Amino acid sequence: MATVEAIKLHKRYHDFVALDDVTLRAESGQLVTLLGPSGCGKSTTLRCLAGFLDPEGGDITLDGESILKLPSNRRGFGVVFQNYALFPHMTVAENIGYGLRLQKCPKPDMARRVGEAVDLVRLNGLEDRLPRQISGGQQQRVALARALVMKPRLLLLDEPLANLDARLRDEVRWLIRDLQQQSGITAFYVTHDQSEAMAMSDMVAVMKAGRVAQFATPREIYQKPVERYVADFTGEANFLACQSVAEQGSGQYRIEAGGTVLTVAGVQGLNGRAELLVRPETLRLAAPDEAADFNGRIVKCAFVGASQLCEIALPDGGTLKLTAAPNTPVHVGDAAAVVMDRAQAWLMPEVAP
Amino acid sequence: MTAKTRLRLLLSVPAIVLIFVFMILPITNMIEMSFRTPGTSEPFGPDYTGMHYTRILGDGYYWGVLARSLLTAGLVTVLCLIVSFPIAWHLSRARGLKAVLLYACIVSPLMTGVLVRNFGWMIVTALNGPLNETLMALGIIERPLRLLFTQGLVVLALVHVFVPFMVLPINNALRNIPESLTEASASMGASRMQVFRDIILPLSFPGIQPGMILVYVLAVAAYVTPALLGGQMVSVMPTLIVGELTGTFQWPFGSALAITLSVSTVIVVVTFTMLTSKLMERAKA
Ligand SMILES: Nc1ncnc2c1ncn2[C@@H]1O[C@H](COP(=O)(O)OP(=O)(O)O)[C@@H](O)[C@H]1O
Ligand SMILES: [Mg+2]
Repeated sequence: MATVEAIKLHKRYHDFVALDDVTLRAESGQLVTLLGPSGCGKSTTLRCLAGFLDPEGGDITLDGESILKLPSNRRGFGVVFQNYALFPHMTVAENIGYGLRLQKCPKPDMARRVGEAVDLVRLNGLEDRLPRQISGGQQQRVALARALVMKPRLLLLDEPLANLDARLRDEVRWLIRDLQQQSGITAFYVTHDQSEAMAMSDMVAVMKAGRVAQFATPREIYQKPVERYVADFTGEANFLACQSVAEQGSGQYRIEAGGTVLTVAGVQGLNGRAELLVRPETLRLAAPDEAADFNGRIVKCAFVGASQLCEIALPDGGTLKLTAAPNTPVHVGDAAAVVMDRAQAWLMPEVAP
Repeated sequence: MTAKTRLRLLLSVPAIVLIFVFMILPITNMIEMSFRTPGTSEPFGPDYTGMHYTRILGDGYYWGVLARSLLTAGLVTVLCLIVSFPIAWHLSRARGLKAVLLYACIVSPLMTGVLVRNFGWMIVTALNGPLNETLMALGIIERPLRLLFTQGLVVLALVHVFVPFMVLPINNALRNIPESLTEASASMGASRMQVFRDIILPLSFPGIQPGMILVYVLAVAAYVTPALLGGQMVSVMPTLIVGELTGTFQWPFGSALAITLSVSTVIVVVTFTMLTSKLMERAKA
C-alpha cells in the first residue's frame, strides 16, 4: 500500500506553537496511533496529513515523495471525523457513494461498491435514510464506509469513537481494526484513550504539547517509557523517586528506592535523579514466609469486586498502588510486604532531556 | 383554566390585536371596497359589483402591467441572490471587528430613508449628473447615457436596497455549515467548485429560500423607487394602484388592482415554496 512519513512538522496558530518538530512514520499497512491529552496537537497533525492545514515547516511524504504541494482533494486519503461530518442532505447511500460519483464511476459499478461498503459496516436496510434518521453508532459506521469505499491510500481517523457509548465503542473499535487489517490500508488514528491506542495500534506516538514524547510499539510505550509523562498517560503507574543513580553497564542501574536496594533496567544514559516505574500489576502482597521487595503500611483499601485496590505507604515517603486478590485479608493500618516482578520495573527520567 | 394557559393567552393578546387591527381589518376592508360600484361624486358608490375584476382580467393592458411587476420582482430577486451570495460568504467567514464592519456596510442601504435614497439615484444618474460627467471626462462615452427613468435603473436601485434582506439569512445558513463538511468532501476528491455545488449551495438553501421570498415580496410591492426612477413610461402595479387611489379617486377599482396583485404574489410565493420544499426538507439538519 503506502508508507507515509511526517518529517519535522511545525505548525503555528498566530504565535501559539501547535506542532513542534513532529516526526512520524507509518509503514505500509500499519495503524499508527496519536495518543495524548486534549489540545496536544493530535488533530492538527492529522489535518496537516489530510491537507486541510499547511505546516510552516517540515515535509510529508508518501512512498518517499513529498505530497505537501498536493491539495487535499488530490491526496486520495480517507478521513473519518470526530463528529462524522456526514452530509446532512444526502442519504446513507449517497454519502457513501459521493466520492465515487465525483470520480465519474459508472452507475452499476458504483451501486455494487456502495453495496459492498454497506455490507462491510452492516448498514443494510438503512441506505435511504438521512444521517439525522439513524443513531450515532450507525452514523459513525457510515463515516467509516464512506472513507473506505474510495480504497484510500491512507486512512485518517480523528477520535472516531469519542462520541459513542462504552459498549458501541468496543464494537466499532474492533470493526475499524478488522477492516483496516483486511484491506491493508495504512492508517493514522487519533485518540486520547490509552486502552484504545494499546489495543489497536502497530505503533503509538504519545504527544505532549505539540511534540512527540515517544514513538514506539504499544509494548515499548507501556513497559519502557522514555519519561514519566508517557508512563502516566499509558496506564496505572507507581513512581518511586531515586536520588542518585549511576549506570552499570548499558541500561542497568543499581538503585535505592522505597527503602530497598535493587538492580533494574532503564533508559540509557541516566545520571542523578530518576524515577522508578512500577506498574500495579507487577506487584503483589508477599506470602507469609516470602522475601519482600518493599515493606510498608496499608493506607487505603477498596473492594471493587474482582479485586481489592490497595495503597501502601513506604518508609521513604513513596506510595505503591497494587491490586490484591478479593479475599486476601487487608486492613488499613496493617503492615504489608510487597513482592515486585523486578524484570518489569523500569527506570526513567522525570522529564526526558 | 390553569395559570399557564391564562398567561399564554395574555401574552398573545398584543399579537392578536396587532394582526387584527393592522392586517385582518384593512384586508377585509380592501376586499369589500373592491366589490363596490364606482362613485360619481364620492370615491365609491353604494352598491356591490364584480365589474372591476372582469375589467382587469379582460384587459390586456392590466395583464401586461401585472406581468411586468411580477417579472421585474423576479429579476430583482435573482440578481439580488447573485450579488448577495459572495457577500454572505465573506460575512460568514468574518470574525470580530471585521464582522461588525461588514455588517454595518451591508445594512447601510437601509440607513437612509426611501425618498433620500431615490433622490440620490436621480441626482447621480441624471443626464448632467456626476456619473455621466465622470464617464465623459474619462472619455468612456461621448454623449450622456439615459439612465434615469429606465427599467434598468429601477432594478438596480431595488437590488441595491434589498441586498441586506438576502445577505443576512444566507449568512446565517452558511455559518451553520460545519467546516468539516467541506473538508470531508474535499478529502473525497471534490474540487472547490464541486464542494460549492454539492455541499455549500444545497446546505445554504434554508437561507436562500426565505431571502428570495422576502426580496420578492418587497420588490413586488415597491412603490417609491419605480415611481421616482421609472418615470411615466414604465408603470408597475403599485404606481398604477396609487394613481387610481389618489389620482382619479377610483377606490373600488384601485382596491381590485391591489387585491389582484396580492393574490398573484401569494400564488407565486406558494408555488416557489412548494417547488423548493424538497431542497428545503433535505437541507434542514
Ligand atoms: N484554528 C485554531 N486557531 C488557534 N488555535 C488553535 C486552532 N486549532 C487548534 N488550536 C490550538 O492548537 C492546539 C492543538 O489543537 P488540536 O490539534 O486540535 O489538539 P487535539 O486534537 O490534540 O486535542 C490546542 O491548544 C488548540 O487550542
Ligand atoms: Mg482533536
